[in-house]
Amino acid sequence: MVQLEQRKKRWPVVVGVILVIAALLAWGVWYKLFREVDTYYASNLDHWRHGSIGTEGQQGMPLWIFMVLPRMFPEYLPRPGGWGSLGLATANADELPIGFTKITVGIERVGINCAFCHTATYRLAPGPPTGPPGPEADVQTNIVDAGPGHQFRVQSYQWFLWSCARDSRFDSKHIMAEIARIYKMSFVDKLLYRFALIPFTKRALLKQQEQFSWTEQRPPWLSGRVDPFNPVKYDVLKVPKDDTVGNSDIPSVWNQKARPGLFARHWDDLNPDFKEVIINSAIGDGSTLKWIDNDLKKWDGEGEGRSHFRRIYDYLEDAPVPKYPLPIDQGLAAKGKPIYDKECASCHAFGAERTGKVIPADEVGTDTNRLAMWTEGAVVAYTNLAAAYSWKLVHFEKNNGWEACGLDGVWLRAPYLHNGSVPTLEDLLNPVDQRPKKFYRGYDVLDHQHVGFITSGPEAEKYGQLMDTSVRGNSNVGHLWGVNLPEDQKKALVEYMKTL
Amino acid sequence: MSKLKVTFTQGVLVDDVISTPVDRYEHRFRRHWIVAILLIVVVLALFLWWYFGRDSAVAYNDIVEHFKYGSLGSEPGGTVFTTVGGNLPPYWIFKTLPKICPDKIPGGYAGYGFVYEPNHDLPIGISRRFRLGLDQVGLNCSVCHTGIVRGAPGEQPKIIPGMPAHQLDLYAFLKGLVGCSLDPRLTAGNVVDKLKESGESMGIMERLILPTAIGQVRTQTQDLANKIGILLDSPSPWGRGRVDTFNPYKAIQLNWDLSKLPPDELIGAADFPQLWNQAPREGMHLHFDGNNTSVDERNLSAALGAGVLPTTVDYESLSRIRDWIQKLPPPKYPWDIDNAKADRGKATYEKECASCHAFGSSKVGTVEPIESVNTDPFRMNAYTYIFSTNQWALYPESPERFTHFRKTYGYANVPLDGVWARAPYLHNGSVPTMWDLLMDPKDRPKSFHNGYDVYDKKNMGFITTGPEAEQAGTPYDTSLKGNGNGGHLWGVKLPTDQKWDLIEYMKTL
Repeated sequence: MVQLEQRKKRWPVVVGVILVIAALLAWGVWYKLFREVDTYYASNLDHWRHGSIGTEGQQGMPLWIFMVLPRMFPEYLPRPGGWGSLGLATANADELPIGFTKITVGIERVGINCAFCHTATYRLAPGPPTGPPGPEADVQTNIVDAGPGHQFRVQSYQWFLWSCARDSRFDSKHIMAEIARIYKMSFVDKLLYRFALIPFTKRALLKQQEQFSWTEQRPPWLSGRVDPFNPVKYDVLKVPKDDTVGNSDIPSVWNQKARPGLFARHWDDLNPDFKEVIINSAIGDGSTLKWIDNDLKKWDGEGEGRSHFRRIYDYLEDAPVPKYPLPIDQGLAAKGKPIYDKECASCHAFGAERTGKVIPADEVGTDTNRLAMWTEGAVVAYTNLAAAYSWKLVHFEKNNGWEACGLDGVWLRAPYLHNGSVPTLEDLLNPVDQRPKKFYRGYDVLDHQHVGFITSGPEAEKYGQLMDTSVRGNSNVGHLWGVNLPEDQKKALVEYMKTL
Repeated sequence: MSKLKVTFTQGVLVDDVISTPVDRYEHRFRRHWIVAILLIVVVLALFLWWYFGRDSAVAYNDIVEHFKYGSLGSEPGGTVFTTVGGNLPPYWIFKTLPKICPDKIPGGYAGYGFVYEPNHDLPIGISRRFRLGLDQVGLNCSVCHTGIVRGAPGEQPKIIPGMPAHQLDLYAFLKGLVGCSLDPRLTAGNVVDKLKESGESMGIMERLILPTAIGQVRTQTQDLANKIGILLDSPSPWGRGRVDTFNPYKAIQLNWDLSKLPPDELIGAADFPQLWNQAPREGMHLHFDGNNTSVDERNLSAALGAGVLPTTVDYESLSRIRDWIQKLPPPKYPWDIDNAKADRGKATYEKECASCHAFGSSKVGTVEPIESVNTDPFRMNAYTYIFSTNQWALYPESPERFTHFRKTYGYANVPLDGVWARAPYLHNGSVPTMWDLLMDPKDRPKSFHNGYDVYDKKNMGFITTGPEAEQAGTPYDTSLKGNGNGGHLWGVKLPTDQKWDLIEYMKTL
């Protein structure tokens, strides 16, 4: 009798213990998988380069997997050099290239942000070890924040991750051995990586490749280009797969204060509102709606917890336009100015009548694949996406034309046209049949003579990717303004454009 | 309620009733037997855990001994399941390799310029540490930074810690090591036999592990050979007194396929530098191309070259060495100096050299642009911007992470303390003596032998010609890529007697 009563009394204790253990376990799972700790950067520039835009929770890779991939799988990168071989730039001795974020979502995770695509590099001369040694200023790599990542191979980055995931060495045994070289991990983290994070990451990457399988049937993006909206259309907006090709240049995003109010943005002005453009670009990068909702609530906030998007917005308003880095023939440029005013300014000078407006596609005459990519259906779907939130996306539109863009820093925005089909400014002023039919994109040495980058020769071939203008979406036709100018006027015009 | 109790009680009773004393005895015996096995398993597991987890370096209280023989953690580490780091085979194998393949390692390790001292069975620069259940060996700082010098052929070499190991042929050593580690003659039986011949023997555990260890050595050496084989077949071999600092690093630390780099980038041999007097060098551009301004980072980076990893490095050991080299004085010139001549030379030095080379001067420790110094560019070019971006990520999340490495476009203006002991001169060791450096490049020696330890007191440098130098040294051809002896024209136009005075003065530095 005594025994039984003891037993009877014991069961609430047992249940209590079980509940406590379950609670501890749940807390542990929350702590190690979901707990969010943001990383704060004091300066807006550092925030631009490395601040989170909420991509880590959904797309973020566990830090220690990310850190070992370039050493484990160098054969899937374009050449020796780690992340830099893809055209990603690293500044200030940071451990991560510009465009990568690191925050804690349970464990530390690496995500991407806007700077991933919008960071440009250039050099004035090739320099060692492939060129002759020269003065430091000539051969060093210059980084331009908010510039177009013309040298960055977005698709090669994706392909690298997927190839790693497909490789049989992407397993706990090999990855843990590689991590053991650089980091002494705690026992709990080892278990977590070995049994959860590594297999989960592998599966997530393979799934992502599956989601992007449509890209295999379409022309490659090539260095400095993306198909910016098809991934969102198919995977986020659930628009049925079509066969459109949206391949287009990564634009510069500096100096937004010169583009106030509703100003044509994206190549076809599919959304003219700067704040909405930040939001929809982040969604394209993998930000979650929940994170965005939370961030926008702090839009007018202060202190370390203030809105990340707002900081990006503020940074880009004032992000400086890079000055042409070499001497300009001022006399020649002065001769070019009236030509520019006459031939170009009405569409391309800030404050002019048509700048920031949409120019009908028939008038421009350039390749229309990018236009066909964006549909009325997509407008509706994207508008509905945010319908449940207090913030809205109300400025999406379908246009049949191209934005007349401001030309600030145009010297660094080569290759030209929305699809990057014309290597230099000089080529753009030539009739279509005289524009290069094939050239190499992504080599970052400037072409002083023609204004653009070097796009031919052994170095450009080695470091760049072949752009064939006969491929779908790559046509270099259209935009014939100025092609009939006399040669000396073209020279003067190009010289003047270096000053923009 | 009470029913339940009865049933329960009955159950216990029933069990008791059927068990006889014999049953009980057997039962107890069986239980003891299981407990005993469990105990043995636990004890064995604990022993193995302790044995394979033990990490203990041979320790030296004396700092000079520690510098020469102490461990930086460059021996293989990690766990027996995931071994990381290290680039030498375990102790017993390392010791017997020269006897196993005398054709591939002729003259033993001493033949490569390794220096042996009495009461040490390993040469200076090789540390010993028990890890992963075996006595392991590793490289330490002194392997490349301990020099020997003699005043005349008959003398005993003077060993100077911190001096460039101008006599060491690391290149041939690596080739010999790789060759013999992959040689079929490397077997457990042969290792044991060769040890017997010299009257040594290893412990029972080590003997048990030996075959596995040899298998691992093979795998790791094959991996190393795959990675840096292209460097060991260079058109410009390093020769004695030089190492290519950063190219092996690209292959070993970053796993870059060197064959995909521009071939010229793979030529980067440079002289071993000296290690004394580091405190006043803090903040100066270190390494010959001046790519780092932090003494600590430079030390840690050099340790990576010796074989440590972020997870195997022995920071305490490294910091002892750091503290010591901060204040280690340069060695005094060991022979007579003509003070009158030296006094005259001082004025010339101050006029011609001091602004770039004297402590406290405006340009010392800065990078002299390549177009100004105009010396051979290969070493500078071997260090690339993209490589530096990868170094920044080598010790992620660690307070020791490299943040001071930068690509430069020239060579550093180095302080000249103890310069007499730092021959041959220029970053690539292309100019044998100070006298030669004060000559027009077209009159500097074009071919000679580096690594002979007898000093040339007149010209200030080592003797690099003659049968002894040819026998002891490795040939140096200034027409090879990376070996150019041009540039650095300061002082070449001085009158001859002023040059001799200047050299006399530089012996006092």
